[in-house]
Amino acid sequence: MTEQVVCKKTDIEPGQMIESVYGKHNVLICRTQDGEFYAYLNQCPHQGAPLHKGIICGATTEKSKPGDYHYCREGEIVRCPWHGREFDIKNEGRMLANPNKKIPSFKVKIENDDVIIFR
Amino acid sequence: MTKTRIRLVDTDIHERVQYKDILEYLDEPFKHYITNCNWIQEKHMPYTQPATAGVDRADAILPDGRPAGSDLAFMQKQLLDDIGHEYGILTSALDPSPSSMHGWFEMATALATAYNDWQIENWLEKDERLYGSVHIAAQEIAGAVKEIERVGSHPKMVQVLLPIDDIMWGDPYYHPIFEAAEKHNLMIGMHHNEPPVYYGKWPRYFIEWHTLIPTAHMKQVTNMIFNGVFDKFPKLGLMMIEGGFTWVPHLMWKMDQQYRDLRHEVPWLKRKPSQIFKDQIRVTTQPAEELTKKEFMSLIDQMGSDEILCFSTDYPHWDYDSPTRALPKMDPELEKKIFADNAKAFYPKLPK
Repeated sequence: MTEQVVCKKTDIEPGQMIESVYGKHNVLICRTQDGEFYAYLNQCPHQGAPLHKGIICGATTEKSKPGDYHYCREGEIVRCPWHGREFDIKNEGRMLANPNKKIPSFKVKIENDDVIIFR
Repeated sequence: MTKTRIRLVDTDIHERVQYKDILEYLDEPFKHYITNCNWIQEKHMPYTQPATAGVDRADAILPDGRPAGSDLAFMQKQLLDDIGHEYGILTSALDPSPSSMHGWFEMATALATAYNDWQIENWLEKDERLYGSVHIAAQEIAGAVKEIERVGSHPKMVQVLLPIDDIMWGDPYYHPIFEAAEKHNLMIGMHHNEPPVYYGKWPRYFIEWHTLIPTAHMKQVTNMIFNGVFDKFPKLGLMMIEGGFTWVPHLMWKMDQQYRDLRHEVPWLKRKPSQIFKDQIRVTTQPAEELTKKEFMSLIDQMGSDEILCFSTDYPHWDYDSPTRALPKMDPELEKKIFADNAKAFYPKLPK
């Protein structure tokens, strides 16, 4: 699919996300704390909730042991606004509880101040 | 969201009242206790919130910040019009049960009355698709029966709501409620209400508690059946709300096997427990486990009836089930039963 400008870099602060439109798709543009941009279909793969209504946060990780929480990756996880499922923005939108499931993604490039997505 | 092909009868929708809205329906001195003495219902689950907006869908909170479920126009736009509901049964978010009221039955009774009037005026009489639940403070039996007598004949009230928390409703003390409900063609709806599922205590984690809510439903069904409620009130029906449904075959088998051994203790049961279940108990689907079509059809087969399940969304709560996504694809005849006809057949006051 053709390249399309979906927003300006300045439209999203690190650790935030917005919805936009790419062709016929409603898309989710995420910016992680390191300033990188990622684009996904704005629809939870579980039951279709609009992901931009959820939150970007960190996560308790697999390093945690019973009675010992390990939390990090602030700004790299998107949580669904309905059932709270967690998706890893920096790992192809994979679900933390089941990495075989992921949010369909789009390629992203930055030109000047434009965020451009393509397939 | 795509509309369902079948016009949905949604058996669990939570409208929500705010104290400022209910005051005009509340008698004194109870109004005084809220406005001048700042009473609020104190109830607290000792957990982190499950999802991103507490127990609500984050996208159901109103743009002006009011809580999810508190505005009819917003609910119409986000749910009823978007999905294409034929009917929706309101199950509220108010709770005058003893576990919430800490024994203050006078306030509980007054709140239930005010709530019913608020519900009728602001929801049932404002949207023809919406049907309601009679709220009672069941711990005060005379007041509860009086309230059913007062509003139970309203054409859009279809059931009496009882919370599933720490009271077993099959106890003969509560039978006057069932008698009054039967008299007014009302069914009983039981909705889980923070039952302390670990032998009266809270599990350590929310995920434990939420996993085991269906056990509270199983306890109520067992209690109601063996206490003879359905034999004593043959026109009464019970809708078990928000406990999922995969527990149903297990409980049917278990009760039938026990009945074959131990019938002598409950001789008033004239039918097998599973038959009583099929005749008089219905179960809402949400929160549905993610099942394949094969698994789902196997469960229906194990229940021995395709007339038990009634679809529910639980809007606007966090564990909402989408009518187009929550259950596997099924054949059109079964789909029509689960999404509409079973609920219509169950509630005598719902138009057919």
